[in-house]
Amino acid sequence: MPPLNIFAKTLRDQKWQIVGFAFALAAMSSTSVWLWPSVRDSLQNFDIPAAARAFLGSDLDFATGAGYLSGRYFGWTEILAIVYVIIAGTGAIAGEESASTIDLLLAQPVSRRSVILQKLAAIILGLAIIIFGGYAGFLVSVPTVDIAVSLADIAVACANMLPIVIFFFALSLWAGAVAPNRGMAAGVVIAVTTATYFVFTLANGVESLEPVRYATPFYYYGAGLPLVYGIVWWHVGLLLSVSGVLVLLTLRTFERRDVSAGGATDLGLRSVVRRAIAQSTGT
Amino acid sequence: MTPAIQLNGVAKSYGDTRALSGIDLTVEPGRIFGFLGPNGAGKTTTIRILLDLIRPDAGAASVLGFDCQRQSLEVRRRVGYLPGDLRLYESMRGDVLLDFIDSFRPEKRDPAYRRALVDRLDLDLTRRIRALSKGNRQKLGLVQALLHRPDLLVLDEPTSGLDPIVQDDVVHLLEDAAAEGRTVFFSSHVLPEVEKISQSVAIIRAGKIVAIEDVAKLKARSVHVIEVTFAAPPPPGLFALPGVRELRRDGATVHFQAHDGVDAVLKAIATQRVLDLRTQQPSLEDVFLAYYTEPELPQEERRASA
Repeated sequence: MPPLNIFAKTLRDQKWQIVGFAFALAAMSSTSVWLWPSVRDSLQNFDIPAAARAFLGSDLDFATGAGYLSGRYFGWTEILAIVYVIIAGTGAIAGEESASTIDLLLAQPVSRRSVILQKLAAIILGLAIIIFGGYAGFLVSVPTVDIAVSLADIAVACANMLPIVIFFFALSLWAGAVAPNRGMAAGVVIAVTTATYFVFTLANGVESLEPVRYATPFYYYGAGLPLVYGIVWWHVGLLLSVSGVLVLLTLRTFERRDVSAGGATDLGLRSVVRRAIAQSTGT
Repeated sequence: MTPAIQLNGVAKSYGDTRALSGIDLTVEPGRIFGFLGPNGAGKTTTIRILLDLIRPDAGAASVLGFDCQRQSLEVRRRVGYLPGDLRLYESMRGDVLLDFIDSFRPEKRDPAYRRALVDRLDLDLTRRIRALSKGNRQKLGLVQALLHRPDLLVLDEPTSGLDPIVQDDVVHLLEDAAAEGRTVFFSSHVLPEVEKISQSVAIIRAGKIVAIEDVAKLKARSVHVIEVTFAAPPPPGLFALPGVRELRRDGATVHFQAHDGVDAVLKAIATQRVLDLRTQQPSLEDVFLAYYTEPELPQEERRASA
């Protein structure tokens, strides 16, 4: 049994980030719940037409507690969690390479596979703590308000945030393995995140764009809002499977290539893309 | 006896740049071995191949009998490494960093030895690494490399950035390690340092090993760079002596290299009235040139050095 020292160090390095994000989610979940009575009152005599709701980026019924929380909290706080995993995921490999600390780490008797898996486990634990922070906000607020949503359903909805965020985490890890430069890795993942989120919300209710939504990862999170529709298991399975493939690609890429302290010298887009293809396909 | 390091035809290119073109090297155990070459010659590339941080395009590398790629974990268990461009985790305290490094080899933890090392280098472990000077970071880097009493120490430019007093401390640490039967392999671009510390030396230039020598022999070949200012321009032919090269006259000042010792040269100088005499450390280039007798010296090198 190898020591889990890298796991412990990764958690230690990120403790303040984890605490910060967890508190942010807790603050948002609790204030969302506490604001519910006044929102409900103002919506009472105000029926938003379906088309207008679609235009707002959601076909949820905001006049119910479940619909309100789905839009108000679960519809976008996953983005915050994604911010955490992009920071942590691109830091895992590319961050150590950019900071040149990778030489010292990999000179120790530990396999590259173990380094990645320990960091991965630590960051997923950090992510779980952050999402639980949001749930803790519900725990203190829901019993004080008449919102007609059970804490058990909310727990399921919180857990349902994991697959989409894990997907972006795996993408960040892989980007960090391919582009040994943290800025580049983070830039690519941020671009993918914002573009797909934008397309997903934009395409909502626009019939001609409907097929495009299926191409965005957010569809497999958003359409399965469990507070309203229940969990769509194949969406969860799909996100986790793709994440698994990305982690395997990360391992394969990182185990095969040279480690570059200080970041790669050749950062031309073409060479990075070529390397990504070559290393991931094993050619 | 299993060599501490064995390289056979190791080659490595980065894109179109050839970093190592097939080097062979054997380092016997229990020695202090200097790896000498100018910046960019391939020293760091060689060292990083030993630790499997990069993979050679061709050839085989082994450390203590273990293949550097296939048995890298066995290699790294036995090697203490100081990177050339040392970067430590900035937010860690020195003691936390050493604990972290220790945690990779729990069976070799030795608090008493660690304390001895830290005391000897006069390190303050309670400070965060970002608050340490370059010299203190380098010392911390050395301590982490020595911490587990490795069979082989691989040190990339260990004394760079250290003041002369600390350099001496480092030299003593390395000598102690060798005295305990461990092997020290270190790179340097400073000849006197290699002469002072090591018993054997390999000279690398432009990705090729150009010489592997006992340091004693290297010293015997040593070059003196001399500049003399006389009271009046000396008579022509005064320095027509064996071993005098690169002679250049500049009025009453004469520059030259003495390749065959200084005795005859000093006697010739002493026949004239001397105002000033300066000798310089020979540059690595001078040493290389001393190594290449004329026929071995490539045409372009001769032109470049002229």
